[in-house]
Amino acid sequence: MHVGLTHFLIVSAILFTLGIYGIVTRKNAVMVLMGIELILNAANINFVAFARYGNFGLGGQVIALFIIILAAAEAAIALAIVLNIYKTFSNVNVDEIDKLKE
Amino acid sequence: MEMTNLYQSLNLILPELVLSAVLVILVAADLIYHNNKAPVKFVALSGIVVSFFFLLFNFDNSGFAFTFGNTIRNFGLVTVDNFGHFFKLIVLISSFFVVIFSFSSIELKEAENRIGEYFALIYGMIIGMFFMISASDLILVYLSMELLSLSSYVLAGFLKLRERNSEASLKYLIYGAVSSGLMLFGISILYGMTGSTNLYVINSLIQGPNINLLTLSFALILIFAGIGYKISSAPFHFWTPDVYEGAPVTITAFLSVASKAAGFALLIRFIKTTFVSYTDANGAWNLINVFDWQSVLIAISILTMTLGNFSALWQDNMKRMLAYSSIAHAGYMMLGILVLSNQGLLAVLIYFAFYLLMNLGAFLVVMLIANKIGTEDINSYNGLGYTSPFLSVSLAIFLVSLTGIPPTAGFIGKLYLFIALVDAKMIAVAVIALLNTVVSLYYYIRVLKHMYLIKTEPDTPVIKPNFIETLIVLALAVPVILFGIYFQPVVDFAKSCLVILGM
Amino acid sequence: MLLDYLPIFLVLAFSVIVSLAIVFSSRLFGPYRPNKIKNLSYESGKDPVGSTHERISVKYYLVAMLFIIFDIEVIYVYPWAVEFRNMFHSNGLFAFMPMFIFLIVLELGYLYILMKGGLKWD
Repeated sequence: MHVGLTHFLIVSAILFTLGIYGIVTRKNAVMVLMGIELILNAANINFVAFARYGNFGLGGQVIALFIIILAAAEAAIALAIVLNIYKTFSNVNVDEIDKLKE
Repeated sequence: MEMTNLYQSLNLILPELVLSAVLVILVAADLIYHNNKAPVKFVALSGIVVSFFFLLFNFDNSGFAFTFGNTIRNFGLVTVDNFGHFFKLIVLISSFFVVIFSFSSIELKEAENRIGEYFALIYGMIIGMFFMISASDLILVYLSMELLSLSSYVLAGFLKLRERNSEASLKYLIYGAVSSGLMLFGISILYGMTGSTNLYVINSLIQGPNINLLTLSFALILIFAGIGYKISSAPFHFWTPDVYEGAPVTITAFLSVASKAAGFALLIRFIKTTFVSYTDANGAWNLINVFDWQSVLIAISILTMTLGNFSALWQDNMKRMLAYSSIAHAGYMMLGILVLSNQGLLAVLIYFAFYLLMNLGAFLVVMLIANKIGTEDINSYNGLGYTSPFLSVSLAIFLVSLTGIPPTAGFIGKLYLFIALVDAKMIAVAVIALLNTVVSLYYYIRVLKHMYLIKTEPDTPVIKPNFIETLIVLALAVPVILFGIYFQPVVDFAKSCLVILGM
Repeated sequence: MLLDYLPIFLVLAFSVIVSLAIVFSSRLFGPYRPNKIKNLSYESGKDPVGSTHERISVKYYLVAMLFIIFDIEVIYVYPWAVEFRNMFHSNGLFAFMPMFIFLIVLELGYLYILMKGGLKWD
């Protein structure tokens, strides 16, 4: 058994599923954000693996670079917003922040 | 990349370059002018005007920018065409109005010392939307969408220590980040299947025989999650009411018009360039037989407008009601896309031009009233029709137009949509849409009932807008009536903007 | 087959064995005479104070966020630097332009943070 495209795809599928699971089950906003990061990284693994094994050139790897930076930017903004939520609501549980429901 | 190629490309995206330069200037100006923020506001407004002129100057200029030099066909990251110009105009006009709204918003007065940041983020949104509108490469689509989203997450919670704002911002962030993550995963699968992220290349590759349709559908549904979130279509609309209610009114107006326009432009371009093999003589788009966009769009469109309209019936908060109404309008506009023809596209463009006026107008009046009475609750609108006739009449015009009753622009927009549907022999869909319009009549007219028919209490406030505010309201209300009667120029203009560069 | 992974397993096994061996050999050969002071956790010769599970000040997060942003932007410089020789041959000094503009914008962001007081500790 050689390490091939399938292995990478399986890893990325597992990461994707774990990410979705985290988003759906966790209440803490920070945990939800970590789930989102998992999804982004799953996509990243896909891009790099496809670029390497499909002989698509360097495109996939460059895309991965862009995604890494975007993920960092998103994490920074998300953390800032979560901090702000903590200042106003004194907790960061997404199901307890429901002032806007009628 | 060759130098001449680069210069040509930069020439094609001049309006975007101007906006980016103004963004940098804004940040610098915010640092220089600590106390008096008037210059910052001036820069913000004039930047939009300058870029508007560049856009007009560029109008009939079309082509592919940032092409890859070594491929056989020269399709680039950015496609500049008249279709894109139309939506860019919509974005710029609405941002012009939103910037002017922002000058007179009471909410934003609390954050006066951070107003530079506010405008810089608005510019971030505009640049994101511009690239979203003309992106023809999935990675640029994703990047520009994130640029738009990241700026708007912050803007939705701009008044930091207000609970409503922070909550809106968190909800927007979580829904947005999840759906854009899903979209990215979909893009990665599509990249794996075709080896390219360029829409034109994907178009030619998915016509090949060895494409796994199941995987392709999975990828497309994931990608649609991202786009559907931006246009707030049915299964991805949950954020809309909360965010629209919680965010500052100016941002709500901006999200409901400009951000939605960018999302629609992206959806149309994505479907047209990726899945249409050719356009026949009658202007009907011939779909590649890999994914049945038409059925999907019909289902989503009906679901979207029905959910939007029926949820709006029970809303007492004006912003929340307008949020549901904007969901319903997204459903109407998808009607124009699902007929998959140039006629339908024309209807969408016309509808958007009018939607811009009436929706911005409605939000502006809601903001002016909230500036005075401090709430958007519909019960506090009682008797306003008698104490402040000007604003009430304008609000009435906007709401009637949103319903689609003649003689307003909204009627013409709906008329073109329905004609396109009937011409495509989709009578059932047209009937459902018509019934939806009837439902929507109830909640729009309910506002008028509160303003005119409920007895005036002695303490009903008198709201007198100042000169500039009056001018802006007139600038939105007069065209709504005018285009309801004399709409030919808009139709002619939209007809010249049907060109989507493609196969 | 799994044989491909053999070197990795060997490294893992080796590191586990060595670390276990070191821990247990000291216990085996060294004298073991515990008293109260020896059992305290060691903190630079001082008496340890307070719990280790304290909350970290929120200010660290702000600095950490800013650090991550600027740190990760460097990733854009790498492809440019790798490709620079080719670009310089074909385009001359123009090859500097993209990175120059990028760094100016980045620097402006840094200035913005600095002047808005993002790095002030109090």
